[in-house]
Amino acid sequence: MYRQIIIVGLNHRTAPVEVRERVAFDGSLLGDSLRRLHALSSIKEGVILSTCNRVEVVAAAPEEGVALRDVKAFLAEQESVRGRPLEEHLYIYSGDGAVRHLFRVAASLDSMVVGEPQILGQLKGYYSAAQEAGTIGTVLHRLFHRSFFVAKRVRTETGIASRAVSISSVAVDLAKRIFDRLEDKTVLLIGAGKTGGLVARHLQRNGVRSLMVTNRTFERALELAEQFRGSPIRFEDYPHYLSLADLVVGCTGSPEMLLGPETVGAVLRERKQRAMFFIDLGDRRNFDPAINQIDNVYLYNIDDLKNVAVENLQGRSREIHKAEEIVDEEVINFFHWLESLEQVPTIVALRGRLEQIRRREMEKSLSTNLKGLSEKERQALEEMTSAMINKILHAPITRLKGLSEDQEEALYIDALKKLFGLDEK
Amino acid sequence: MDMLVLKVTAVVYLLATASYILYLVRPERSSPRVPSAVLLAGFVVHSLALALHFFQVGYPAVTQLREALSFYSWLMVGVYLLVQIKYRLTVLGSFIAPLAFLIAFSAFTFGTGGEELPPALKTYWLPLHVTLAFLGNAVFALAFGVSLMYLLQEYQLKNKKSSALHSRFPSLETLDRLNYIFLVWGFPLMTLGIITGSLWARINWGNYWSWEPREISSALTWLLYGALLQARIARGWRGKKAALLTIVGFVVVLGYFLLGDSIFPSRHGGRFE
Repeated sequence: MYRQIIIVGLNHRTAPVEVRERVAFDGSLLGDSLRRLHALSSIKEGVILSTCNRVEVVAAAPEEGVALRDVKAFLAEQESVRGRPLEEHLYIYSGDGAVRHLFRVAASLDSMVVGEPQILGQLKGYYSAAQEAGTIGTVLHRLFHRSFFVAKRVRTETGIASRAVSISSVAVDLAKRIFDRLEDKTVLLIGAGKTGGLVARHLQRNGVRSLMVTNRTFERALELAEQFRGSPIRFEDYPHYLSLADLVVGCTGSPEMLLGPETVGAVLRERKQRAMFFIDLGDRRNFDPAINQIDNVYLYNIDDLKNVAVENLQGRSREIHKAEEIVDEEVINFFHWLESLEQVPTIVALRGRLEQIRRREMEKSLSTNLKGLSEKERQALEEMTSAMINKILHAPITRLKGLSEDQEEALYIDALKKLFGLDEK
Repeated sequence: MDMLVLKVTAVVYLLATASYILYLVRPERSSPRVPSAVLLAGFVVHSLALALHFFQVGYPAVTQLREALSFYSWLMVGVYLLVQIKYRLTVLGSFIAPLAFLIAFSAFTFGTGGEELPPALKTYWLPLHVTLAFLGNAVFALAFGVSLMYLLQEYQLKNKKSSALHSRFPSLETLDRLNYIFLVWGFPLMTLGIITGSLWARINWGNYWSWEPREISSALTWLLYGALLQARIARGWRGKKAALLTIVGFVVVLGYFLLGDSIFPSRHGGRFE
């Protein structure tokens, strides 16, 4: 029975993007590539993953060494440009290491941004492609389904995906704690600083539709307005527009503060006390810290945002630890299943199950309606029922033993276990 | 028998409180359905207790403090469960469930004050008056819950603290809007409660108003909530001040409910001489 699982590949940590690009598999040719992989005599089942951050081949094979050599050669064919040999960028996993790696990838523990949700969808896509190409069998089928399950467990049982760790995502999180929805909110962006732009973009991605932009030089404001599809405002005019803004992002290099408590207090009265969120990203303070004291006004500067991000990051490493524990647990579960796919234990279990049924029925009959049987008659009944069991089992066992070490065997064993409930104790 | 069922109710409310706490502390491990289901179970048991009492007395009796407290907490949980259907505010339940437990618990521990209603007064005026007034106060209990959440969320935001707990809370804007909605529903109910009460008093005792301590405290809260509602609508009052006033109003009502009638015996405390 083949049950060596191997993974050969490279990712964002082991290979620069130029190398990843060259090794990447073309989506339209993926079916062909899969069939070429499957055609290798050392490989029984195979799946190819090829995203912008990773290229990996997952395979099930009877013999590890040969399979590894063949898969490496298969990947090297992809890379047609000279340079350092591909080998340097590759990582190789086999056995429980391979299973753990795939589970970690699915659970987004191996991603550049840990916890990002896209990878699971991509994994499912490549799994379906392999299924369509017919290069997947019992072992990888189970392996991938388990990896989807692990990803789901990690998502629901840990807070790994729910913590903002960048300044702009922290800003969006805070905005969502203040405001019900961002769709009907207006953002005023003051200044052309880079961080300000990032925060504005992130707010837009999270629903903000209306954006006003102002800058000391009006030309720059026009440029920014175009870039963000917002409305440009002259710098001397922006105080008049303040009352329209629910979020004010300051990112200027101005040495003096732009807004103080008197102005903001007046704006609040004009807004009938509707809440305002000020985000100060300037190197020097753009907004007077005193405005945070005003009711319904919330001011966060860049340090405040960084502090929240750092706290979240610490929280996230705790969650990662929990997630790794889930992965370990599931790796063990998977190997229990894989080991159970052996022929001999399956045959033993099958015999045991039928024998158990025979005994139980014998006992039942002998203590009730066959109570009057003599010792000799009992003996004959024992022999007769045992012979029946043996006859019934003869054909399936011979056939099972005659199966080669290929996909079919695992399929039959798995089916037998399911049909006779051999996993249930 | 009905006392026993009332005790069971209190236990179930305590269980509901525990499952709400679990939901708040370990959100990734628990579904929001669990605490709601436990609270609903408590409500069903509670309804049974009230029904048993009704058949025992043969009249919707609410004059004893025990009866009043039990009926009030039943209405409060009922109103919350209705709100939960529409607004999905599981976190609010973590304020309502302990409150329901406390009130149900006090109902059978020190709820013995008050006499039975003289037969002459057993008309449907009393249940009507009490139901309306209690409904208004039940809605104010929800307003109290969202206001408390508002203050906690606001404090955290102002002081740049974050915790997993508070990110489970709705946004300030949502909480403030809910405060307004509950006020808009609670105020007319309370007004109707006061009107039916004074009409009933006019019929039985000949005067609309008798300056009982409960009447004075109700009038004060009515004025307070009325002023708050007016300020919200006319002057765009919102946020922290509105939340604080809502809390003060509710604490006055609840505190008086639990203690006042025992200190100042009157018709509202079940004295009908």
